[in-house]
Amino acid sequence: MLRYSAKQLLNMALTLFAVSFLVFALNELSPGDVARKILGPYASESQVDHLTVQMGLDRPAIVRYFEYMGKALTGDFGDSIVFRMPVADLMFDRLGNTLLLAAISFAVIVPLSVVLGVLAGMRERGWFDRTISVFSSMCASIPEFAMGVFLLGIFVVWLGWLPGTSPLRSDSGWAIWMQFVLPVLVVTFYDAGYLIAMVRSSMVEVMRQPYIRTALLKGMSFNRVVSRHALRNALITPFTVILLQLNYLVSGLVVVETLFAYPGFGRMMLEAALAKDIAVIEAGTLIAVSVTMLTQLFGDLGYMALDPRIRV
Amino acid sequence: MTEIIHDIGRPRAAPGLGLAGDAHVGLLRQVLNILTRSPLATVGASILLAWSLLALLAPWVSPYPPNRIDVALVADPYPSAAHWLGVDHLGRDILSRLIWGARTVLTVAPIAVLGAVVLGVFLGLVSGYRGGFIDAVIMRIGDTLLAFPKIILYLIIIAKFGASAFNIIAVITLSSAPIIARIVRGVTLDVKNRDYVAAARMRGESALFIMFVEILPNARGPLIVDFFLRLGYTTIAIGVLGFLGVGLPPPDPDWGGMVKEAYGMIFVWPHMTIIPALAISSLVIGANFLATGLREASLDG
Amino acid sequence: MTEKLHPIIEKAGREFADGKLERREFLRLAVLLGVAAPAAYSMVGLAAPALAQGAPKKGGIVRIGMRVQDISSPHTYSWIESANSARQVLDYLTVTGIDNVTRPSLVEKWEASPDLKTWTLHLRKDVTWRKGRKFTADDAVWNLKRVLDDKTGSSVVGLLKGFILTEYDGGEKDAKGAPRKSVKLWDANAIQKVDDFTIKLNGNSANLSIPESLFHYPLLICSPEDGGKFGVGSDGTGAFELVEHEIGKRSVFAATKKAYWGGGPYIDRYEIIDLGDDAAAQVSALASKQVDMIYQGAISTLPTVEKLPHVQVNSVATGYTAVARTHPIKPFDDKRVRQALRYATDNDAVLKGALRGLGKPGEHHHVAPVHPEYADIGYLKQDIAKAKALLAEAGYPNGIDVTIDARPQPDWELLAVQIMVEQWKEAGIRCKINVMPSAQYWANWTKVPFGFTTWAHRPLGTMILGLAYRTGAAWNEANWSNAEFDKLLTEAEGYLDVEKRRAVMAKLERIMLDDGPAVVPVWRAVFNYSDKKIKGYKIHPSIYIDAKDMWIDA
Repeated sequence: MLRYSAKQLLNMALTLFAVSFLVFALNELSPGDVARKILGPYASESQVDHLTVQMGLDRPAIVRYFEYMGKALTGDFGDSIVFRMPVADLMFDRLGNTLLLAAISFAVIVPLSVVLGVLAGMRERGWFDRTISVFSSMCASIPEFAMGVFLLGIFVVWLGWLPGTSPLRSDSGWAIWMQFVLPVLVVTFYDAGYLIAMVRSSMVEVMRQPYIRTALLKGMSFNRVVSRHALRNALITPFTVILLQLNYLVSGLVVVETLFAYPGFGRMMLEAALAKDIAVIEAGTLIAVSVTMLTQLFGDLGYMALDPRIRV
Repeated sequence: MTEIIHDIGRPRAAPGLGLAGDAHVGLLRQVLNILTRSPLATVGASILLAWSLLALLAPWVSPYPPNRIDVALVADPYPSAAHWLGVDHLGRDILSRLIWGARTVLTVAPIAVLGAVVLGVFLGLVSGYRGGFIDAVIMRIGDTLLAFPKIILYLIIIAKFGASAFNIIAVITLSSAPIIARIVRGVTLDVKNRDYVAAARMRGESALFIMFVEILPNARGPLIVDFFLRLGYTTIAIGVLGFLGVGLPPPDPDWGGMVKEAYGMIFVWPHMTIIPALAISSLVIGANFLATGLREASLDG
Repeated sequence: MTEKLHPIIEKAGREFADGKLERREFLRLAVLLGVAAPAAYSMVGLAAPALAQGAPKKGGIVRIGMRVQDISSPHTYSWIESANSARQVLDYLTVTGIDNVTRPSLVEKWEASPDLKTWTLHLRKDVTWRKGRKFTADDAVWNLKRVLDDKTGSSVVGLLKGFILTEYDGGEKDAKGAPRKSVKLWDANAIQKVDDFTIKLNGNSANLSIPESLFHYPLLICSPEDGGKFGVGSDGTGAFELVEHEIGKRSVFAATKKAYWGGGPYIDRYEIIDLGDDAAAQVSALASKQVDMIYQGAISTLPTVEKLPHVQVNSVATGYTAVARTHPIKPFDDKRVRQALRYATDNDAVLKGALRGLGKPGEHHHVAPVHPEYADIGYLKQDIAKAKALLAEAGYPNGIDVTIDARPQPDWELLAVQIMVEQWKEAGIRCKINVMPSAQYWANWTKVPFGFTTWAHRPLGTMILGLAYRTGAAWNEANWSNAEFDKLLTEAEGYLDVEKRRAVMAKLERIMLDDGPAVVPVWRAVFNYSDKKIKGYKIHPSIYIDAKDMWIDA
């Protein structure tokens, strides 16, 4: 397991390098004018030249790439053009907010989907299973922005119970926890819809196994069979999937964050991409890719630990 | 966009292999058979069919030209006898824009998914059949692409090269192909040492023939299920791009773009936002129901 | 009027009396040349505009939704938002009001020499820095020298270059490695301290608009002790102190303890909250009372805001616009095609659809009714038949296929483009829209063959024409060249007399209608939103926001 992890980590480093180069190269294809972006369209040509030289942007791309990587390794990711601050600080802050939203959503989604999924899969094709299946399938089919629009229409426009934006400040007239309700709801509907289906189908599969049938035929109570035998096996497959949700919860929240003006990582990436804020795009992509690969690694390791039959 | 997870989350390859277990029964008959047995699949297929018909017949069924602006109508934009779903903030008929917008999404999404299937099948077959260095390179590149969270990959590329139907198709094709390649590679590895493949090799068939005629049909089942699931997620992806402001360029209607344009007015004119949001949702629900129905039915064999 | 008036004012006064000079232009001239604003208003028989809406009450907080940017270097600001943060703490030497008239601020009074080369600025004697020091000529001179220093990189240089700076070869290179001219004060004594409260600006050419230039938004007067840096706790002469600043999140300003020399402030705290660029999110914040004001309104949110009972829309007419301009390449190399484009456009419909009527329909020449020398040469009505005929004459009987580049922000621009494209379709001009993110558009705005470009308000019509349409000008984004136009423009620029300028302007406007490269669909009003409880606020054409005038009527 140790060797496997080491190998995967090396793999990760290589991929990160490839990714960083790809992103940099992509932006160099048409470098735009960084100084112009900083100064705005109405700055004079000489002001722009001034800043270009000052920032060292007149040097060849490859030199700047290695300089950038060198600095990045020491934790200096440069400055953001859009947000006018060091990328490292910005990233830390935005990532923190996103992780908070992700953690809350995760804490709601996981128990909810495990419980509903198990209950549904326990008695395949029962009325509860049917209802939950259709419901979860529908939830997973409604894009976050559409769900956001529906919920906003109901709770903000119509009922006026909740705030329309979530800037995460207590002085905004709405308690912080209320600002979390709608974003968490939207994420939950979308993501739980999918997770419930996963848990359910895994549960269904386990319930069809001969040993479960045998246990039932032997006269063991249904509840006992489910809790003693089926549950553990049924949760092995979804375990990885659940872990992989972290991945979505870190970088997939662009839509929710945009809908509710939530100061998170995803919205930052959107703004950076639109403004071609290279420093932010680079650093953000590296972080997102690291998160993806780390969760994959942990998923694999956990899978191995849970299911001794699997050897990687 | 959990799409990436949906795929990786199925380490034992896609279920639903049963669909094509026996390649001799007509595919169409199988599909029809399943449709009649699974109510979920029937509902899904009907939704898809309905939208497809509307899209196909757009010039005849659309009550107004989709881009016709009539600023005077904005005074009372709500649904009426003349405009069943109301008009938008420029006085354009929402129903007509939905119908023409269906045409856009039902062209772009299937082309993007088909592109991904073609590319993914080819790479997966080559990768699995040849193995060795080629396999390593293809899988390496695929893994690198998969390491990008999709939405971020889309944003970077589309903000870079501009939003056009072509670029959207390209980016979706590129990002989905590695996953399909994985599915196909798995099936290929599974069957490439079977007798009938060996026999074909003995007969002196070309590698291309073996890959496409002998091996590929085995992947048909998972691919079909995957196609409809992917169609759903691609519809979401196109909608999301539109909503984030990097979708298809105006003025031609794009459902996600319609939601975005009117989103700021949701407090006064909620129908302008909610109706296109419903349309997108219904199309994705259709695709997902169909995929789920197909998979379940095939599992029952 | 016991003091001697500047000769130009005496002449202008006569012209005004003869009805040849508009009130606004007379006011501008008079105040510019050193007549105090109230006096100037009284000279033309008007009361100065008052902001008073009942007696101001003390106390309360105002929270505004605006981008919170890096504001550490006031003299190099290139965004209004930055200046709108710092101006609560720092003052300007002069202030241009919402009526386009420039008035004294830290400078109490100014005089220009008859040749307009020497400007004497008399500073207020009752101003102290928050930290206790007296504000003197040394402070002002330090700031002026700093903004005019090439190394500072302030855009004030561009404004005052001709007046007081001279170019020399300092051995610097630009981004492409070509030698770059440096600038320095033309004379060691160009900025002269006369006494503790008097400064002389000794220019080497005439300049009429020194007081207006002194209000250029980066020219904030910082304390020399802060070395040109600005941040939490920085000293200032203004009504507030910056107590908290987090880029991308919020800034908090607290009213200073001692009385402000300029009156006010009434509120205790002024907070700037960063709501991002998404207009819808901004309005949600306004609707749920998370903020009391939005810095700038967006058309997409206007319908919503109009229905919010506690919010009012503030708007002011300006010379802001965006123009659909063409490069002289096929098919636009034929002026009949460009005319067809103008005839095919219905400006009234664009105004109504894209700006919900906030503004005025454009007249396809880039001189707005708010410009002093604007000449009314009539409104070009949409005429599809004529447009078709012109296209046919130009050799395109079946119409043309073109693509226009536009950007998504501000949102009214894309609406305007969509409306025009539908209108053009009727005339056989089949136009596709290519939307680029703003950053990309601004990287290419002078290069795209057919594009829709924002133009900010400029105080004079001649200024905008010189910037955007003179042959070879850096911002002549249309690559347009018309010798007759250039000649007349130079002539117009030579007249201080507005009537003479207007006569030439009429000709310039006609040339733009006949040969010009652009469709100018609208003059947009600038607008924003504020809670009705906020009093004492009126929107400025450049959306400069002063919290010191605001008070809350609970």
